[in-house]
Amino acid sequence: MTISITVNAVERSFDVQPDEVLLDVLRREGYLEVKGSCHSGDCGACTVLLDRRPVASCLTLAAKADGHAVTTVRGIGDQAHLHVLQDAFVKNGAVQCGYCAPGAITSAKALLDENPDPTEEEIRLAMDSNYCRCTGYEQQVEAVLYAAAQLRKGDKR
Amino acid sequence: MIRMTIGIVCKEALMGRITEYYHATSLEDAFAKAQQLRPAAAYVGGGVELILRRNPEITTLIDLSRCGLDYITASREGIEIGSQTTLTTVSRNADIKKYAGGSLAWWTGRIAQNNLRDMITVGGVIGRNQPWNDVVPHLVALGAQVRLFDGAERIMPLAGYIEAKQPGVIIKGILLPAGNAGSSGFLWRFTRTLQDISTLHFSALVSSDGKFMTAANLVFAGRPGHAALYPRLSEGLVGKSLSHETFARVAEMAPDVVEVGSDLRATGEFRRELVRAAILNLEEHMTGVAQ
Repeated sequence: MTISITVNAVERSFDVQPDEVLLDVLRREGYLEVKGSCHSGDCGACTVLLDRRPVASCLTLAAKADGHAVTTVRGIGDQAHLHVLQDAFVKNGAVQCGYCAPGAITSAKALLDENPDPTEEEIRLAMDSNYCRCTGYEQQVEAVLYAAAQLRKGDKR
Repeated sequence: MIRMTIGIVCKEALMGRITEYYHATSLEDAFAKAQQLRPAAAYVGGGVELILRRNPEITTLIDLSRCGLDYITASREGIEIGSQTTLTTVSRNADIKKYAGGSLAWWTGRIAQNNLRDMITVGGVIGRNQPWNDVVPHLVALGAQVRLFDGAERIMPLAGYIEAKQPGVIIKGILLPAGNAGSSGFLWRFTRTLQDISTLHFSALVSSDGKFMTAANLVFAGRPGHAALYPRLSEGLVGKSLSHETFARVAEMAPDVVEVGSDLRATGEFRRELVRAAILNLEEHMTGVAQ
């Protein structure tokens, strides 16, 4: 079957199997910034935004995303144009091996889009789907607090 | 290469093969399609369980997301939640935040995890009704009714729907009765973390006049299997004072009333102790005094 998804603001059509998950489709089509890990919705590495809300793409049927908008971490910002959040992750030591970073940043982006001044507790709740085995989470929380402050100051990156 | 091929063949044999994904345009359309294909068709809620635990008999998925079932409405009768509404949406609704002390809103904003709460739908959790489900026991305690569609609409208590599951029937939505809005909702999950699957669920809805309890629904789930009301335990609270003695009597009786069973995760004896602890947690919730 053919589905249409707007990926990172670009309209795309994909031929997919009826039971294929979004993660597999995105990676097959070259969106390698979306990471697969547990494939059971536990780790959060594969998190993308579906209509601005974070979902585990490993458990999202690609057909269910037909007609919707998907944003990957590269749609938030790329190496040439880092988003404030991505810059904050680097500056605050919230990236070590980096495998969880795309999912973590994506979850954080969804939070800050709705809540520009989150508490630490709200950040932890919004990122409770993102496992990180390197940073111990503290640096990630600090990075999101830092990014939120930068965005409130008017940093538009 | 040979090993890989065998692996794929075995996986498909075990998991089945979905050959069609059908976007229904209306409830009538979805129901007609399901009737035409049953039992080889399944409705898609959030889709999470369909992927995690595939049924080899299912070859067609019927998507209900274009049938107008993503809604929350409040009226004199109560609050109705469309079956395609996600847990995140439920958790953020202003009316649900006020309903029965806000217990449903609080829990739907915390169980599972963030990127699943935006996928899991109310209809999906009721339709699949897995024993580890957190939401269904609480909805049963809240006295929820389920609005069904099988060519025509009808309403029945959620507790009754769980007992007599009806394959092929579409869950249109659930209704939280207005009469329970002022009561106190309570859910207790025995887990190590919020993301963990609970060893035992206990949920309750209690009404009181500040001194005496005037109504109570007590529900246990997890073990035994699905959410079940325990009217004998409710009787131990209704008409009684909001006191430690009242809850202590029910806590003493409960382990013998609730059929906890036993499995590899925890023994029956341990679960019976959890049943007692659940009642004492309800006491703390209702009186503000921890035992």
